[in-house]
Amino acid sequence: MEFLLTPASVLLLFAFFFIGSVGAVFIERLFSDNGKMAGFWGHGFALLGSLLGLAISVSVLFFGQGIAFTLPTVFPNFLLDFRLDGIAAFFFGIISLVSALASIYGFGYQKHFYGKYRLGVFSFFYNAFIASLLLVPIANHALFFLLAWELMSVASYFLVVFENQKEENIKAGFLYFLMTHFGTVFVMIAFFLAYKATGSFLFDDWRAATGTITPLIQGIIFGAALIGFGTKAGIIPLHIWLPEAHPAAPSHVSALMSGVMVKTALFMLFRFFFDFFPGAPMEWGLVIILIGSLSALLGILYALSENDIKRLFAFSTVENVGIILLGLGAGVTFFSIGLESFALFSLAAALYHTLNHAIFKSLLFLGAGSVVEATGTRNMESYGGLIKLLPFTAGFFLVGSLAISAFPPFNGFASEWLTFQSLFIGMTSAEMIIKVVFFIAIGSLVFTSGLAAACFVKTFGATFLARPRTEEAKNAKEVSVFMLLPMGILALLSFLLGINATTVVASLIAIIASIGLIRPVTLQFPFSEFIQARADFAAILPLESIALLLGLVFLLSFGAIWFVTRSRKIVVGPTWDCGTPLGPRGEITSGSFSRSLVTIFRGILRPTRQSTVEYHDEDMRYFIKSQEIRTSMSDPYRKGIYQPIGVVLHFLASQARRIQSGNVNMYILYLFLTLIILLLWATHV
Amino acid sequence: MYRLLRKIALTAKVVVPEKELLLLDTETLGQELSSSIKKLFQGSLSIREVAAGSSNAEEQELTALSNSYYDIERFGIRFVASPRHADMLFVSGPVSRNMTEGLRRTYAATPDPKIVVAIGDGAIDGGVYRDSYGVWNSVSDVIPVDFQIPGDPPSPKVVLASLLKILRETEKSTDVSSENK
Repeated sequence: MEFLLTPASVLLLFAFFFIGSVGAVFIERLFSDNGKMAGFWGHGFALLGSLLGLAISVSVLFFGQGIAFTLPTVFPNFLLDFRLDGIAAFFFGIISLVSALASIYGFGYQKHFYGKYRLGVFSFFYNAFIASLLLVPIANHALFFLLAWELMSVASYFLVVFENQKEENIKAGFLYFLMTHFGTVFVMIAFFLAYKATGSFLFDDWRAATGTITPLIQGIIFGAALIGFGTKAGIIPLHIWLPEAHPAAPSHVSALMSGVMVKTALFMLFRFFFDFFPGAPMEWGLVIILIGSLSALLGILYALSENDIKRLFAFSTVENVGIILLGLGAGVTFFSIGLESFALFSLAAALYHTLNHAIFKSLLFLGAGSVVEATGTRNMESYGGLIKLLPFTAGFFLVGSLAISAFPPFNGFASEWLTFQSLFIGMTSAEMIIKVVFFIAIGSLVFTSGLAAACFVKTFGATFLARPRTEEAKNAKEVSVFMLLPMGILALLSFLLGINATTVVASLIAIIASIGLIRPVTLQFPFSEFIQARADFAAILPLESIALLLGLVFLLSFGAIWFVTRSRKIVVGPTWDCGTPLGPRGEITSGSFSRSLVTIFRGILRPTRQSTVEYHDEDMRYFIKSQEIRTSMSDPYRKGIYQPIGVVLHFLASQARRIQSGNVNMYILYLFLTLIILLLWATHV
Repeated sequence: MYRLLRKIALTAKVVVPEKELLLLDTETLGQELSSSIKKLFQGSLSIREVAAGSSNAEEQELTALSNSYYDIERFGIRFVASPRHADMLFVSGPVSRNMTEGLRRTYAATPDPKIVVAIGDGAIDGGVYRDSYGVWNSVSDVIPVDFQIPGDPPSPKVVLASLLKILRETEKSTDVSSENK
């Protein structure tokens, strides 16, 4: 136990990932078994490392004692400085948990790749990806952080393009690479401005420099951080890489990317606004809330119109990031107007939703992976009736769908309820502008919750209910136990986190309080106050009683139904079809379910429709031979924002080509001129 | 001999309403029907009509039942669109081969307990279509029939009077008071 709280355990953890990644490449060379051993090696060490990470984060949180240490490097301005405090341990724990379960899933999923792709290479990047994910929350030095951040982006890029025989994956990877570096540029701007203002790359020095930075510089830092990390988190309109890149990756990597990678960006926003430079003006809180409302609402609308199961989940991630930002923004606002306890409450809502989203989104992505594995397609129109063929997957998927649609007693309900509460508190505020913004946020969240429920009714219904619509769906088989186990654990967690809401909220408040918003900065957490906080929250958040009540209602209604129908005889016969045989073509599919909603929101979604008709006789157009209708959504962001930028860049690049003559003498002249100008400038200054 | 006896045993009752019933006016018939339906069906009798190869004469008469003159809906009788909602099946026509499967499925789709009534001479024994190549001759060759209303076609009033007789017979054969408990 003592060992887990030492730097050695953290280093051992990264050693596991190192052995997992490098070892897998050699293992693949040694065995010629289509990469089976390499896959087991890679996923196995990733599992070991993740379990150790989970143990470390649990013991850090449980004993209330952080880990901080520095490794020496040869570079003067570059320190490998680690700091695992309460909030970092929370994110560290989420990442470890999801990656441990994803690795178990990987044991079953890897047979997908036998002989087709090199599992040694996959294991290399998979381990590197998880290791860098775990480095991000504990890196305590700006340059070290950037290293980890870049490693995370690059490793995940290679995982996105891993199935490189499909051309769309390469395209998705390119877009992801571009967008993630666009974000990194802004992250670097924020970091270098902070360096300029504080004179240090150490995050600890930034914490110490509170209040010494001019508001203008602080504002620019916040703005750059919001854009930079917002790109990674997938806020609208910087989200365009999410629906491309998340589906392209193998399913357990999608779970990691969607479930936890976007959370690292939210973690850094949290650090920036509350840990590094606390005391952001109220306007930033309102801006974050507005961004959150927009992302939540548009995210779920796009998810609703989607027919590709993994793209749908990616858009739903955009929505949930929006909901988390609502809590975060409310926290910033409350903190700036001095309502510290409300700020704590809102942040607890945000962190709770972060945890919940990590759990149910990875559950859903793993479920989607199983469905894709069983049917061979991501198109929901080709599913149907899978509940009979994949009963366990369907059950876990249902739990995930209920949780993400915020149905009690699952965890999504608790955190969305808390977010609503914190927004309602804001409505009672005296200032008009806060009232208006919170009002907008509540409206958007209400709308989002409703649409989310519709969206997941559609997803579950189109995938698992009715009858199979294709041969592939008809011949689907239940996936292996390796793939079912993690889903089962996640479903159970989703339930437990839902019914133990008061405990979770109280401990989250303790974690947030530990970063020193109210108390002096310390690595010790006030867990002694935990019991009192728990009792306080049980009074205003009777989630256990709600869950109990709901259980009772369920039992009573089933009992009543049984009592009324106990003497009824059930006769099973064919469905009455009015003489027209019922077939799978008559089913309500994903597209037809969302059609009416898409029609309502056609101003935002802008659906396009093309139809081609072929007649038996072109001159006498009475009998239609075949008819084809294509419906799709236009992408206003790509058309309105990214394509014009691309055109401008292309124009600038072609202008720059003029001075690129390819003549060596010419380049020497350029160098010479630059040198002279620099010298002149230096002497002048 | 056995076949004859079996046929007699299985053949449905032909309902010929008493003369006094036919002499009643529609209003009184309706009141009687309505009180009978209240007892047997808690106020509403749903009928699904199956045209199994009839000449459309029976259908015209049945349609007339819903017009403003007879207006049987006020007595609690409705023609419904799905056999799933029906208490009673009206079958007309000598059952053409093409309608056989449809009639069987409709019968199977009607929830128990159900009353099957063959309407018109065609439905009882083939009528003018008897022994032609495309028909079964009678509804009872395909599905069990409980009652038959003769006539080619029976007039709306005959149908109403017969319906009252059918309900009275049903009332007699089932102990209504015990079933409502």
